[in-house]
Amino acid sequence: MFDSLTNKFHAIFNKIRNKGKLNENDIKNCLHEIRIALLEADVNYKVVKEFINSLYDKIQQEKISESLTPTQQIIKIVNEEITETLGSKQNDIKMNSAPPIIIMMVGLQGTGKTTTAVKLASYFKKRGHQPLLIATDIYRPAAIEQLQVLGEKSNLPVFSIGKNESAVNIVKAAIKYSSKWNHDVLIIDTAGRLHIDDKLMNELQEIDKNIPLQEKLLIVDAMAGQDAVNSAKVFCDKIKVSGIILTKLDGDTRGGVALSLKKVLGVPIKFIGIGEKVDNFQLFHPERMASRILGMGDVLTLIEKVETAYNEDEIKKLDKKMKSQDFDLNDFYLQLKKMKDIGSVDQIVDMVPGFNNLKNKIDITKLGDREGELKKIEAIISSMTVEERENPSIINGSRRKRISRGSGTQLSEINRLLKQFYQLKEMFKKGSKIKNFSFN
Amino acid sequence: MNIKNVLLQFKEGLYKSRVELANKLVFLFSDSKDKSDFLEKLEELLILSDLGTSATVEIMNEFQQINFREYKENNFIFFKEKLKAILIDILNSTASNIEISEDRLNIIMLVGVNGSGKTSVAGKIAYRLKNINKDILLIPADTFRAAAIQQLKILADKVGVEMINTKEGADPASVVYDGLSAARVRKKNVVVIDTAGRLHTKINLMNELEKIKRVILKEANNSSLEILQTIDATMGQNAIAQAKSFNKSLGVTGIALTKMDGTAKGGIVIAIKKDLNIPVKLISCGEKLTNLYNFKADKFVEALLD
Repeated sequence: MFDSLTNKFHAIFNKIRNKGKLNENDIKNCLHEIRIALLEADVNYKVVKEFINSLYDKIQQEKISESLTPTQQIIKIVNEEITETLGSKQNDIKMNSAPPIIIMMVGLQGTGKTTTAVKLASYFKKRGHQPLLIATDIYRPAAIEQLQVLGEKSNLPVFSIGKNESAVNIVKAAIKYSSKWNHDVLIIDTAGRLHIDDKLMNELQEIDKNIPLQEKLLIVDAMAGQDAVNSAKVFCDKIKVSGIILTKLDGDTRGGVALSLKKVLGVPIKFIGIGEKVDNFQLFHPERMASRILGMGDVLTLIEKVETAYNEDEIKKLDKKMKSQDFDLNDFYLQLKKMKDIGSVDQIVDMVPGFNNLKNKIDITKLGDREGELKKIEAIISSMTVEERENPSIINGSRRKRISRGSGTQLSEINRLLKQFYQLKEMFKKGSKIKNFSFN
Repeated sequence: MNIKNVLLQFKEGLYKSRVELANKLVFLFSDSKDKSDFLEKLEELLILSDLGTSATVEIMNEFQQINFREYKENNFIFFKEKLKAILIDILNSTASNIEISEDRLNIIMLVGVNGSGKTSVAGKIAYRLKNINKDILLIPADTFRAAAIQQLKILADKVGVEMINTKEGADPASVVYDGLSAARVRKKNVVVIDTAGRLHTKINLMNELEKIKRVILKEANNSSLEILQTIDATMGQNAIAQAKSFNKSLGVTGIALTKMDGTAKGGIVIAIKKDLNIPVKLISCGEKLTNLYNFKADKFVEALLD
């Protein structure tokens, strides 16, 4: 989630990290890059403008240019700003009126209203409520069936009286029905519509006028671009939207919409959809999201840990080796040992900019998970000749057998180790191409 | 179809975004204090239109060179023409449309992320080809989303074309296999495959698509295969990641840009063309079956700026 934006921030902070002091120019450059990173992430331009201005003011106030640890301070300020932009407190559904609580889901086509309606209903069911889903999308072919099928799968009742009634009448009938069956939460799934489609926007206003709605939730695709703010604004103007649900956050979206909506609309983000399964649905926590976007704690921790584990000469040597092709099994073993001092490989990969994306593709993360794993690797590498360690490509079948006997390990373990070594080497090769990747 | 009518409708759909962008252009000039002020505003404008950073940087570079006072005096026509030329230049490549050959089976496979409009576009393509007397078979390979098969079936009935039947949860590759056999037996011209929406980051689901493509290449290696990716015009820069990933897995042959009837500016097209060189072939602009148009770079830019 948001990996790309996170990586951008890593890169920006890395650039200034090793400067003892920051002059006015450094700060300006840094702010410019943050601005571009945010714009690229589809953060609304007005939000970016305010964000940068506010950052600049704070940097001036805190006299960053005189600070000896300017980067940490800037990261701290950026984190505060992002948390503030995302909305500072967590918002749940208001449950303070007499039942039934009626919730209407609205949004553009294809943002995920129907799926989200079912997720929300399931969320309430888990908390002991009796939700009822109401199908009012009388336009899109098979939309009602979609809700019915999804409801059935999750054991959630769906109210529908076909496509020939108006949406308002369907909801009215559903309310009558719900009192008989003691449903205390009603969730209205509406048709997707363009904000400039007056006829369909009127339909929403009709429902709003005639039905006592507790919540009007706008469903927004997290991958949406600059226009998201415009369309959301119209929805807010026409029917006072009370909350936002961001969907499709399980992709690689950079989260610009998340940063923009709360700020521009003043409407809180309440939930996020993070997958196709019914329970891939969470309350939205601004402060957690902020540190996720920045990977802030991680940058600082990693920097500290790397600094304690390596001295400067070692970093330079390693960096050179990584980029060149003579990274051999000796280095591999040394690195594994060092890395263990820093943290599990999985954690480290998470902290390194540019590596997040590679993580899925290789099983390097399984390396060094357990104490025994490292001992085994040590045994295997010690059973190799010097020549083999320096030039692993010569390790053929019979050599593997010998090493296996010598180290008391399985042949498959040796194969795996060599595979992992090549993967790591490949990863370093790629990593060195990523700008500003290295720590020195 | 009458090209003038098409353009008219297309322009209508673009009307709002056009007014917005054009107004901003005038404003941009009358309001700019100096060159750097102007350039900053231009950058903002381009980013706001979802043009993407690399296209923006390229355009900015062009305008870095201008003599600001001269431009200002010549009012914004100069500026607009220059911008237009740059945009057309990025989009420009031989206009590519969907070609239907007579002598073999034409397979059109629709792919894309969830909610980008695959099923609707499948219906629209079927409608268009039906009108030029093609014999079409629809294959509902979206066996995952609830009621997706029914949705396509309703569209098929509306258009009056055949759809092979299957049930939810069936293996999509085998649905495609069956569909291709049926198409062969029934001697169809065109097969349109509607696949399930999937996020481009889900490796398993992308593998599933690759499998479908393998089935197609094996079962119908003599046919022409068009892999069309639907991209929602309201998408931001993530659409580039989407296109990149689908293209890597499948070799996307064209893009169908959907939901152009909203206020989104469709600038993402420029970014995608620039970064990936995948041509946009179709524009979907409205909820009617008729609302599908061939993409034309010059008309697109013109409609955007005029």
